[in-house]
Amino acid sequence: MKRQWYSVRDIPRREFLTKTLRGGAALAVTPALLSGLSSCSSAEEISVRTELDPSLLDSTIRRGLAKGGDFAEVYIEKRIVRHISMEESKFRNAVFGITQGAGVRVLSGDKTGYAYTDDLSEEKLHRAADIASAIARGGTPADPVPVTKSSRESYVTVDMPLAAVADGKRLDVMRRANQAALDFDPAIKLALISYYDEIRGRTIANSEGLLLTDELPLLFFIVNVMSEGKGTRHMARERLSRHSGFEMFDEVTPEEVARTAAKEAVVMLDAQECPAGRMDVVMQNGWGGVLVHEAVGHPLEADNIAKKIGAFTGRLGQKVASDCFTMVDDGTLPSFRGTTNYDDEGTQMKRNVLIRSGVLEKYMTDILSARQLGLERTGNGRRESFRYLPIPRMTNTFIEGGDSDPDDIVASTPGGIFVKSLSGGSVNPVTGVFNFTCREVYLIENGRITVPVKGATLIGSCLDIISGIDAVGNDLAFGPGICGKGQMAEVTAGQPTVRLRGINVGGSKAG
Amino acid sequence: MDYRLFVEKAVRAAVKKGADAAEVYLETGRDLSVEVRNGDVETVQEAASQGVGVRVFVRGAMAFAHSNDVSEAACNSALDRAVDMARITTPDEYNVLPAPADAGTVEGLYDPGIAAVPLEKKIAMTVSLEKQAMADARITRSAGASFGESGRQIYIANTHGLVQVCREGACFLGVSVVAEKGEQKCDGAEYCGRRFFADLAPEREIAAAAAEKAWSMLDPRPVRTQRAPVIVHPDAAGSILGGVLAAVNGNQVVQGASFLGDKLDQPIMSALVTLIDDGRRPKGLASLPFDGEGVPTQRRVIVENGVLKGFMYNTMVAARAGTASTGNASRGGFSSLPGIGSHNFYMQAGTVSADDIIRSTKRGLVLREVTGYGINPVNGNFSGGASGFWVENGRISFPVKGLTIAGAAGDMLTGIDMVADDLDLNRTFTAPTFRIREMQIGGE
Repeated sequence: MKRQWYSVRDIPRREFLTKTLRGGAALAVTPALLSGLSSCSSAEEISVRTELDPSLLDSTIRRGLAKGGDFAEVYIEKRIVRHISMEESKFRNAVFGITQGAGVRVLSGDKTGYAYTDDLSEEKLHRAADIASAIARGGTPADPVPVTKSSRESYVTVDMPLAAVADGKRLDVMRRANQAALDFDPAIKLALISYYDEIRGRTIANSEGLLLTDELPLLFFIVNVMSEGKGTRHMARERLSRHSGFEMFDEVTPEEVARTAAKEAVVMLDAQECPAGRMDVVMQNGWGGVLVHEAVGHPLEADNIAKKIGAFTGRLGQKVASDCFTMVDDGTLPSFRGTTNYDDEGTQMKRNVLIRSGVLEKYMTDILSARQLGLERTGNGRRESFRYLPIPRMTNTFIEGGDSDPDDIVASTPGGIFVKSLSGGSVNPVTGVFNFTCREVYLIENGRITVPVKGATLIGSCLDIISGIDAVGNDLAFGPGICGKGQMAEVTAGQPTVRLRGINVGGSKAG
Repeated sequence: MDYRLFVEKAVRAAVKKGADAAEVYLETGRDLSVEVRNGDVETVQEAASQGVGVRVFVRGAMAFAHSNDVSEAACNSALDRAVDMARITTPDEYNVLPAPADAGTVEGLYDPGIAAVPLEKKIAMTVSLEKQAMADARITRSAGASFGESGRQIYIANTHGLVQVCREGACFLGVSVVAEKGEQKCDGAEYCGRRFFADLAPEREIAAAAAEKAWSMLDPRPVRTQRAPVIVHPDAAGSILGGVLAAVNGNQVVQGASFLGDKLDQPIMSALVTLIDDGRRPKGLASLPFDGEGVPTQRRVIVENGVLKGFMYNTMVAARAGTASTGNASRGGFSSLPGIGSHNFYMQAGTVSADDIIRSTKRGLVLREVTGYGINPVNGNFSGGASGFWVENGRISFPVKGLTIAGAAGDMLTGIDMVADDLDLNRTFTAPTFRIREMQIGGE
């Protein structure tokens, strides 16, 4: 077993998400409307419908509980992905993939049995249930509640369904980004454009009688841009991602994405050596929220709390951060990358305030950890696919906006660094020790942002960092990313501009 | 089902559907994992899975489709999709597939005995491992112990008549524990992965290593920001080697995105350093007779006495570079296109002992863990979080945590001035203990 580090990579800032957030009420899209995806496309379009005969779900659940388990669940998934990559102005490759399968989970006290199958036949589903049920030894079989179809509120809207989008439109947004990157500056030598979309159909049924079915679209657009000159190179990156239709590219254009990356690539050719040692760090609003995602979010996931090994074990109700610090995980932000209508166990998404004005109010739970700790289900039981067990994961996690003017935060910082973008970071959930790798960083000298410096590492411990946040701006913004915790999850991180006092910065120059 | 016939037939079907060239990659596998905590089973997971990935070339343009349904109908549908997608990609003269070649055999890649061991015994071993790791009084909690096994079969065929089939398997045993003292918490984990069940390290060895990693980091002391020698422990070697590996990736090189791109046949590291990539080591966890495109793997010297001797290529990138594939096409399963990756990649052992290195260091850092991305392969910049032990007057004095280290790859790699003899080739990506003459260390 390798030591588990939880990590997030490459979350760019995206202000459009803030705009959407401020836009207020989301149009609810029901599963029925989303499944209309297949009807508005060509005849050969494949459906991601995952509905099975409820009696087959019931019989699978019953078999799962036959050896004495107290909770059983069937998760069925079908996913269609398209991925196109453009490198050096050529469409290098195009990928189309279909994956489907089912996972059967049985809980018996603290024990979990899990088996999955690619084959949705009765025989294979029942066999998976038999394997998963073996975890329970003895005891009386619980009587499952027969499944009844229910529904949940929706937070994902689609104007231009992905299945109805012609490939030419996909190529077009890539071409536009490529051109904008190359046109930005002669120092830009390489552009790598990656387009990904998927439609994921889910059916979740469990022994509590739950039966839910939906289909979720996902778009992920990545622009890597490399500059060269002045004896060095810099690879910059910007990403755009939402659970939405193709209208994402109307709200933020491919050119904007490319120029943001190109700008960073050019600026960083002038980067000087970064000083090493403890200093104050101001982090720009947006995807810098990865900082609390790592340093605070992961340690607040309830699985390690239930195991009594997490850094925040036993701290519920206690003051853990400064008064200006409020942190939220909210899976309902309209069409955000971390948003779904319900988690992968069927729990309704909601807004969860984790830390309010410095006081720890909530852990993020899945069904198992909620049971173990006697806490509510918060809608954080997520999984990468049917091949993985659901575990507590973040959705859209952010520091709530404060009242400081971002310019004042910089102006009142005599010296330190200003972090504009980060590659990502990781945390050890037991010790709470985290690290972040910066990509675009500047020195702060006498309250002013001055020269760019080479990407440095920031490190510290989670409890130190949240007690060291002493200024929170009024400019909350968000950015999308990939979170790894033994399995991948799509998330959003957000924050206003914040200042952290006395962070250890790993520069290459003696401070 | 005879999957060898299946992939050969699918290649012929691709041609009928309009592909000028095609490759079919099929994988079947089974996995089992057991997690134990506090003496009892916490999780048992088991599954069998399979899938097929088809790569087609139509008038020089390439596309790929995959499905985890391996029926003939699903495979045909994937081929239709791929041929259809090839309409939108750009034709390229380097879009080529490898010719057939005899990949021979690599001994010791599959142990049928792993699956034959009863589940009860696997659980009992895992329980025993956890118990032994918890036996140390300084260890207060278990973060869990686990046993895992996997087995898979790979079938590759292409329109040049290439057909490759192989089977591989492995098993893993590991444990993670926590040492606490007052408010302090330190975790330590150790795992052992082997091709053969009988080769797994004794439970007491794994247990002792995990416990030591946890308790030895209690009571750390601060050190000031300074320049000092850094002794890289094998546990931390990956963070240094990773950047070199990424920079010798042929694709990074042909795209002009490698800090080593123009350094072929030049010294890039200290003359004490030789780096090997070996795809043919018997029982090697990263050994296979052929790569992700069916090209025979090799044992290659990447850096010899400090001089860069070669890059790593798959078939397409090699064609672009005007050379032959080095058997480094990597594949993340049936759903992925072939990329470029290493096999068993390691730094050759030196002659001194790790203790000799510590004894000859007046003051410096024994680097046990690095966090962050390691060396940036594009420009060679390095910055990371660091923990380990502080050396004073040739002896390990106390643990250190929360430090940073940074530098330029060129200085770090040429600055390696001692290489120890403690290479463990059971790891797939490793080095013996080695010392970097001086780096910037950030502390108090």
